[in-house]
Parts: sequence; C-alpha cells; structure tokens
Amino acid sequence: MDTYRYNKKTRLHKKLFQHRSIYFFVVISLAWYVVFCYGPMYGLVLAFKDYNARLGILGSKFVGFKHYEYLFSEPEFWTALRNTITISFGRIIIEFPVPILLALLLNEVRGKGYKRVLQTTYTFPHFLSWVVVSSVAVNLLGSDGVINSLLTHLGMKSHNLLSNRGAFRSILYISNIWKESGWTAIIFLAAITAVSNEQYEASIIDGANRFQKAVYITLPNIRPTIVVMLLLAIGGIMNAGFDQIFNMYNPTVLKVSDIIDTYIYRITFQTSGDFGFSTAVGLFKSLVNFILLFGFDRLAKRLGEAGLF
Amino acid sequence: MKEGSARKTDFATIIISVFMGVWGFAILYPYYNALIASIAPQKEYMLNPLMLFPRTITFDAYRFLLRGTNIMLGYRNTGILLVLGLPVSMLICTSTAYVMARKHYPGKKIVNFLILFTMYFGGGLIPLYILMKEIRLTNSLAGIALLGAGNTFYAILVRNYMLTVPDELEESARIDGASEITVFFRVILPLTTPILATVILFFTVDKWNEWFNVMIFVRDSKLWTLQVILRDIVFSSTSSTSNVSAMVSVEKTYYAQGLKMAAIVLTMAPVMMIYPFAQRYFVKGILVGAVKG
Repeated sequence: MDTYRYNKKTRLHKKLFQHRSIYFFVVISLAWYVVFCYGPMYGLVLAFKDYNARLGILGSKFVGFKHYEYLFSEPEFWTALRNTITISFGRIIIEFPVPILLALLLNEVRGKGYKRVLQTTYTFPHFLSWVVVSSVAVNLLGSDGVINSLLTHLGMKSHNLLSNRGAFRSILYISNIWKESGWTAIIFLAAITAVSNEQYEASIIDGANRFQKAVYITLPNIRPTIVVMLLLAIGGIMNAGFDQIFNMYNPTVLKVSDIIDTYIYRITFQTSGDFGFSTAVGLFKSLVNFILLFGFDRLAKRLGEAGLF
Repeated sequence: MKEGSARKTDFATIIISVFMGVWGFAILYPYYNALIASIAPQKEYMLNPLMLFPRTITFDAYRFLLRGTNIMLGYRNTGILLVLGLPVSMLICTSTAYVMARKHYPGKKIVNFLILFTMYFGGGLIPLYILMKEIRLTNSLAGIALLGAGNTFYAILVRNYMLTVPDELEESARIDGASEITVFFRVILPLTTPILATVILFFTVDKWNEWFNVMIFVRDSKLWTLQVILRDIVFSSTSSTSNVSAMVSVEKTYYAQGLKMAAIVLTMAPVMMIYPFAQRYFVKGILVGAVKG
C-alpha cells in the first residue's frame, strides 16, 4: 500500500533496486548480443559508402545507391539470386517430405533395439560438418569413386559427377537428405509419439488398416509441426545451404550452384574485395530474409499455429 | 478375414523393417567406404572400390598424415577452442535463458526483443569481418571462442526447461534471503542439468565442427582447427606445409585419395565413437525444443 504514495520515478527506482541482481545476467547476455549482433548491424551503413580501410566505417564517403545500381545490372548477381530461389524451392519439394515419410515408417518398425540402432544411424550424420560429408561425397562421386565404378560395371562411361551441370543440383538434394533427413525425422517422430492411443484404437475398431491410420490419424495430428517446419523452410529461402554448396561446388558447375552467400564470399575474399559493395549484397539478402521470416511467422500465428520462435 | 489382415500387417512390418535397414545401410556405407579407402593399398582400391574388406591393410596413410601434415596441430587447436569456448558459451547461453525465463522485471520486454530480433535480422559477413578486425579478435582462437559463444536457439531450449521449474522453489529461496545470483546457481541450474548436458553436447559438436569462422577470421595456419586443416588437405591445398598432392608425388608410396580419406576418418572418428552413447541427450534436446520456443 505504501508504495502507491511514492511518485512514479521513485517506484521505478525501487523496483530496479529490488530486481538489481537480474541485471547482472542481463549485462552478461546483452554484452555479447550488442558486440557480435548489433555491432555488425552498425556496419551495414557501408552498403551506401565506398569503404576505405584507412578512413574506417565512419570516415568513408557516402555514395548513395551506387552499389545497388551496379548490383542490379550485374548478371552474376541475378544468376546467384535465381539459383538461390530455385535450389531452396527444390529443397522444399524434394527434401521436405522425406523426414515426414521416414518418421511415419520408423513409427511402424517393431523391436526396440532395432529401432534404436536405426535412429542412431539416421541421426548421426547431422553431427558431422559439411567439410567431412562433402569430402566423403567427393570420394564417392569422383571419377575413381564407387558410383563411377558401378556405372562402368553397367557399361556406362565414367566421369566426375560433381562437374556435371545437369546432375549437380540433384546431388545437392540427395546429399542433404543423406545428412539431415534422419535428424529432422526425429522432430516429426516426437510429434507422432504424442498422438493419443485412443484415436488409433477407435480406428482399429472401425477396421482401418495401417496406411489409413497414417493418412487419417497420424498426419492430421502432426500437421502443426509440419506447418511450422514448412514455414521455417519458406522463410529461409534466401539461405540455400552455404556450408554444403561451398564445400561441394567447383568452377564447372558455378552457373547452376552459385547462391547469394557463395557469391558474397567470392566477390569479397576471392575477386574484388570491395567491402562496400559486398555489404550492399549482404544487406539486400538480410532484408529479404527478414521480410520473409517476419511475414511467415505472422502467417503461422494467424493460422493458429505456434509461430516460429 | 481377421487372420488374413493380421498376416498382411506382419508382411508389411517386414517390408518396412527391411526398407529401413537398407536406408540405414545407404547412410553408413559411404563413411565405411571412406574408411576402407584409407586402409587399403591404392592398387586394390582402384581395382575394386566397392569391396567390403581389403585383403591387405596398410596404415601408411595415417602414419604419413600424422608425420607430414598439421593434423596433430589441428587436434590441439580444436581442443583449445573447446576449452576456451565451452565455459563462455555456457555462461552466455544460461544467462540469456535465465533473463528470458525470469518473470517481470523492469526492461524485460526490451531485453527479450533485443535477443529475439537477432534471429530475424543480422549484419552479415562483411560488417562482422570489419568489426572483428577493429576489436582485434582476428587471428586468435579466443576471438573465435567469443564470437561463437552466443546461440539464441540453445538459449531458448534452456529457457523452455527453466520455465518448468516451479515458481515456489525460487520464491521460497528468495524469502530465505537468497540473492538472484544464489537463486540462479543454487536453485535454477541444478534443476536444469538435463538440458544443460544436452546444450553442452551441442556446443561441443559445434566447436568440433567449426570451420567457417576459422577460415574467415584466422589467417595464421598454425592456429587452424581440425576441420580447416581437413579442408586444406581434401580440397586443393593452399598452405605449402600440408600440400598433400605435392608430397604424394615426391614420396610415391601413398596415394592422394587414401590420404584424404584417412584425414576424414581422423576428423570424424571421435564423433562416431561418442555419438551412440550421447545420442539420447541430443534427442532429448529437440524434444524439449519442440515444446515451443
């Protein structure tokens, strides 16, 4: 009661004092976010400047939209943007359903021990880096590799599949399924195990078979999980998988595999080194990414789903 | 009728089990093949890369790698990154989680916004690169450890778990005169150990697999982590000390592919050996995360 007699300011002081030690943790946490997340955001102003290392970020000269004018007239950028979107949609169409299917099938496997062995096998490549996984893929697909050995046995000519423009994107999809689908399946499997047993029992009485149970009970029940994962995938369209592509692509397949992130890397560290221009490309990507993520998060909430974060 | 459908179900179970087994084999085989390539003599492997077991086994590739390349240095640097990185990562991650889990304090909304906003928007690579240079964190493993210390996803996992700690426990500790810091260390952390174990494992794997930041921010090849050295060995070498192809042509007894595969095996062996035992902690992690962030 007494507190109400204080004016607002003293009340805030008192409240801050009361909670003072939580700010110990706030400071530790925010210190990191301010330096490593918000610090770089300040550097985004370079997108409108000609960066000169001697003058620093502040001192460099403003050039307005010069970098963007150049960027939008650059065919390599359009190729990268097109590839990014194509590969992302390819992933959604080809890769996205696989973990759902795996989870449905894994749910049907009997025998606890066998199931556990399968789960361990499926999920472990998720914990390897793309450096390792693509090295293994290169070994497999190279001209001396297993796949080519199989092809020659079948009477076909051996060639390095990673330099084959027609095959490269399929290789991206397949190797990503190979690495990640098992891990993502666990998320769906968790949703499946949460489905109540009563529904299944009722359906058995109605004479539903295994397939019908999966389609009419399991799938509708895990729909919220599927929707969130799908929105997350669509929201992340601007990231088409840098780690994977960077470790697998080569100049021969650049035309079909160069994405925004690899483009930024190349123009910054391998060719021009114009930081202002590179920042401009990065800002373009971040903005589109932000709009997509924010939009799809809103959409998820409007559809009555949990939202992304 | 009923019997028939039961038999049909059994048949379906067998088909599914076999299919899943084949899928598991397809996942493992490439890694197994890499292992075979690393211990088989070149002639044998080239003749039949599909073999399940080589007739002669040679560890020459491993001997060469340990002697002639920086791979031991890579192990050391990755170890340093783990020792430096894990404590800071856990400090920042648990602090962030606690700040998000704690109810009502002045400024909570702003703090939460500042943390979550970074999941939607970032400054991108080049501003970060300039910043790292300006605050002199390039060319140092401590810099890489600091840069990789925060992880909002993991913080949300921990926060979700913290939310399950009953309020009464905290309240009674506070009534007993415990400070926020005591409550955090004596009440909250002990009750969240299962998820902390999971997050420690996640961070460990991330640091073991760290390559991009090291490649970008560390020029000095004496500070490269295992993954970066593996990259250097497998994809056209840049540093002269570990230029495998050049060394192969000099020594002749080794072949490039075998050496590369041996390097891969050395890099992934620790993960492969620990993973079967640690698996349940990882899985628990996403189960908690699936509750909703």
